[in-house]
Amino acid sequence: MALRPGQGPSGSAAAAQGAVTEQTGPDPRALGAWVAAVVLVVLGSDDPVVRVLALAAALLLLARGRGRHAGLRRPLVLVGAAAAGTIVLNTLLSHTGADVVVSLPGWLPGVGGPLTAEALLFGIDIALGLSACLVAALTLARLVEPEALAGALPGPLRHTGAALGAALTLAPRLAQGVTAIREAQAMRGWRPRGLRSWAAVVVPAVLTAIEGSLQLAEAMEARGYGAGRRSAYRERHWGVGDTVLGCCAVLALGLFAAAALTGGNPGWYPYPTPTAPAASPLLLAACAVLVLPAAAA
Amino acid sequence: MTDAGAIASLERFSYWYPGTERPAVDDVTLTLDHDAVILAGDSGSGKTTVLRTLNGLVPHFHGGRARGHVTVLGRDALRTPTRTLARAVGMVFQEPETQLVLARVAADVAFGLENQAVPAPMIRERVAGALHALAIGHLRDRRVATLSGGERQRVALAGVLALAPRAIVLDEPSSQLDPAGARALADALAGCLDRGIALVLAEHHPERMRMRGAVTLQLANGRLTAPTPPPRRGHRRCRQPPADHGEVLWSTDGLTVGHRDPVLETGRLHGVRGEVLACTGPNGSGKTTLLRTLAGFLSPLTGSVERRPVRAAYLPQDPGALLHLPTLRAELLQTQRWLGRSAPLRPLLDELGLGGLGDRDPRDCSVGERQRAALAAVLAGEPELILLDEPTRGMDAWARGALGRVIDRLATGGAAIVVATSDAELADELADRLLVVRSGRLEAGRPA
Repeated sequence: MALRPGQGPSGSAAAAQGAVTEQTGPDPRALGAWVAAVVLVVLGSDDPVVRVLALAAALLLLARGRGRHAGLRRPLVLVGAAAAGTIVLNTLLSHTGADVVVSLPGWLPGVGGPLTAEALLFGIDIALGLSACLVAALTLARLVEPEALAGALPGPLRHTGAALGAALTLAPRLAQGVTAIREAQAMRGWRPRGLRSWAAVVVPAVLTAIEGSLQLAEAMEARGYGAGRRSAYRERHWGVGDTVLGCCAVLALGLFAAAALTGGNPGWYPYPTPTAPAASPLLLAACAVLVLPAAAA
Repeated sequence: MTDAGAIASLERFSYWYPGTERPAVDDVTLTLDHDAVILAGDSGSGKTTVLRTLNGLVPHFHGGRARGHVTVLGRDALRTPTRTLARAVGMVFQEPETQLVLARVAADVAFGLENQAVPAPMIRERVAGALHALAIGHLRDRRVATLSGGERQRVALAGVLALAPRAIVLDEPSSQLDPAGARALADALAGCLDRGIALVLAEHHPERMRMRGAVTLQLANGRLTAPTPPPRRGHRRCRQPPADHGEVLWSTDGLTVGHRDPVLETGRLHGVRGEVLACTGPNGSGKTTLLRTLAGFLSPLTGSVERRPVRAAYLPQDPGALLHLPTLRAELLQTQRWLGRSAPLRPLLDELGLGGLGDRDPRDCSVGERQRAALAAVLAGEPELILLDEPTRGMDAWARGALGRVIDRLATGGAAIVVATSDAELADELADRLLVVRSGRLEAGRPA
């Protein structure tokens, strides 16, 4: 499967030699299609069951592909916070629905008035959709390297993609540069006193970054960059996992389109009184197909 | 010779970088018609400019003014764009950090082939071939950020080799490498010669990059000069070793250093006034981490560091990065102001061969000059504790000698000095006490 570490033509050979072989993740185009399918299904249906399933699919794929991608806690906490915020805001501000849970005094600006169970339910539904989209986008950010993403751009954008990929390698160096310069200046007696004093760190860091990009541009030029047509080499082969991912994305999109065209996407709206979600079979099938790549990994 | 004609010939060639009055190369006439040519010369002598001319970066990328004629493999290099010359003449730069373009080794080696629109299946073959030829097939799937300097230089060479060039020009490719990295690179270059690829090399340490049949051309101040014997590299120490009971300026106890995981165990160490302590070991063995811990930027993982509150100086790797003012003199004055000192600056500048550069913008200086400029900037505050991280990276023989004299003077004046270096020779010449990293531990002794 595409998400296992050490895959790629010489991965096992390198591992055998004791080298640190890092996985290259799924093909960016296959994963991009899958993420697009998740987002479309989630945004195209208000059904909470569909959204729960899509969120589960995204979380599962993220967890399966983790490998070297430690440090997922922070982005997931942020997604959770965004979801909680959405629920709280909708509950406090909606004031619509038949089942009043509690009434806040009317003189409270915005939040004053009845708080309803329906508003809470709809808040949860929006939060589920938001979380599913964010986690799906997170898989793209975590499982595929930005350079690979830039390199997967189609023909006419290939030059831009290569330049973008090169530029991305500069960012971590800038961060290291700032630390090194701050330390060196501190030893020369520099102390942070007000905004102006930071010029001693920021100016050399920016100048060094500019010099770094010029050197990079020179290296690119020396290797014939910008000489008209460009071919694209992918260091990883398209694997079975990528086929599974891509096919599932296309199938899910097909099922979603079929649901939309045949009226099999009834939607869900809890106001004024909540109803059970209709659970359209076509959309449930689309979700099942989206879970498949993670389950197969 | 690789073929019937010369690799390149320069005829009365002069070149001025944009906004400069002084030519970087001044009326040079030379013919490169050997398989291996070494361009020797001090920092700022014009070596890099000649190399850049050979694949068109000068003048096409850098701009500026050129005069005379340059012919490279039968083409007029002053009129042929770099992207065309790049097919025949590959270039490897000095800095391992800034010449690899993409994040993964295989992708980076493929970059030049993609630019030539080579079909993907053939790219795969040629990437594998180039990596194999340099014995770095095992690095294929590595991220560039995790490679050592020596590995990076060989990956850069593979990227050039994959293009099947007729000649490769290399700008001080070993100056940033430790001896092991330099040896591996020298072997790789010998392999290139065996394949009939001509090499032109600018090099401060020709003895590290020995190549059979190599011809050496000497440059000075942008002109071709008669070959001069290399200046004596060794620095003869003229200072007495410090007294046994000197004042202890720093000490460690049970120290382990590292960022999160332990990198180096040093146990009990101390430094006294007047003493030069050298810490040697290969790149990546934790020497920088130790210096940063002694400087107080990193907390010890175990044990403790004690430092007397004295004026300190720290020369980081890539020291040129800390220069930010318009002139070198302003940089030195800045250090003095920050530390409240006011000694005359002239002797320090002269000592480091920077007497004429006080009013120059440090960023307009050559790599080697800038290294010395940064050294002058951190030493201007009359420090008593001095931490130097790889101070000879990119230095020519004269600058090395100058560094030795300055260190001697500062130690005689009562400073405690710690030098972290992979340059075993430097450590031998300067140090009162030698420490060497062996399997994650710092031990007394000399490098193998």
